[in-house]
Amino acid sequence: MFIVVSYDIPEDKRRTKIHKVLKSYGQWMQYSVFECNLTETQYAKLRARLAKFIKADEDSIRFYFLCACCQGKIERIGGEMPMDTTVFFA
Amino acid sequence: MGTVYITQEDAFIGKVDERLNVKYEKKTILDVPLIKIDGLVVMGRASISPATIAELVNYKIPLTFLTNKGKYIARLEPEMSKNIFLRSAQWKAMGESTQAIHVSKGFVRGKLKNYRQSLLQAQRRYTELNLSAGITQLESAIANLAQATSIDSIRGLEGAGSAAYFSCFNQLIRVENFQFHTRNRRPPTDPVNSLLSLGYALLRHDVQGAINIVGFDPYLGYLHTERYGRPSLALDLMEEFRPVIVDAVVLAAINRRILVPTDFITEPVSNAVSLTKEGLHKFLRLYQEKKQTKFKHPVMQKQYTYQESFEIQARLLAKYLMGEIEKYPPLVMK
Repeated sequence: MFIVVSYDIPEDKRRTKIHKVLKSYGQWMQYSVFECNLTETQYAKLRARLAKFIKADEDSIRFYFLCACCQGKIERIGGEMPMDTTVFFA
Repeated sequence: MGTVYITQEDAFIGKVDERLNVKYEKKTILDVPLIKIDGLVVMGRASISPATIAELVNYKIPLTFLTNKGKYIARLEPEMSKNIFLRSAQWKAMGESTQAIHVSKGFVRGKLKNYRQSLLQAQRRYTELNLSAGITQLESAIANLAQATSIDSIRGLEGAGSAAYFSCFNQLIRVENFQFHTRNRRPPTDPVNSLLSLGYALLRHDVQGAINIVGFDPYLGYLHTERYGRPSLALDLMEEFRPVIVDAVVLAAINRRILVPTDFITEPVSNAVSLTKEGLHKFLRLYQEKKQTKFKHPVMQKQYTYQESFEIQARLLAKYLMGEIEKYPPLVMK
């Protein structure tokens, strides 16, 4: 599943925590926007992790699901390029 | 899903949250989520934190150590598979049993047919080549294989077939500044041999991974005899993939001029030839792309990547040894 995650969290400390969790599941594209390509299990795990930190009355996190044909229609001007996951070098 | 190759000497491999974090001189040079990784290959010297090792085992990501020349050193795997029935079937077929002869024939037939196929393809594409002698020799080796009754005679036919193929290999190289005379190794002393050796080492990492997942003991093979520390079964199962994957990648790298002579360095005393770091990265990328290419599996009649086909072949072998299917079908490309 290809998911766009956006969040709006007023408190710095909680926002940093959320940001850190998301970094392990997807790629940071813009301030408060991540793109994640996950399996059902990984998505469930991610949601459970995030749910622990969130204060539902102040914060919000949104998950937008993109279908396979819509993924190809994403247009970008500048900014981060999606990473190539076939091979990593260091 | 991708493989991580660490080629930076003295890099530090650590873990942050659930990500693999590689540092060099205190600067992060790579930071990827562990869920995006299905293998970690360390080439040369690097240190790994204990927490990372625990996490790799936890995520079932195999870790392989190679020298910076690509020679295999060691491997860290999650716990061995619990399927004792499979291992016992594997051990019972040891030696000169009918099953061992059948699967050895399968491996060699797969390899030789794929050799023949790649020569035929080259012949069709470049009509000026003269590959008919090699193709005839390969065909006679394949025909004789059906009558072979001992593993030694199968080994002999494998040798004859490979010799016929490698005698034609130089003609498959379509650029002027590369040449192939004979296969040499330990160490390889020309660029083409050095690419072949590196490719086979990488292939072995992948095939052995598949064998472990299925639950075999990689050290007991049929075509390759037991030797201390030699994963004979991985080498057996590799045979049919050699021409399809490694030789194809090596030829593509050379013929499409992706690698040029300046990508290689020669050591003065041993004459060992190896790739520069940029060359190595180019080659690893090509190999990775090849593994993720899809093709229609002739037995399963479905689209699979080569990476998945390693495990499929290992599972077919398991089914044969456990008596669930009549024959082991090697992967033969059409």
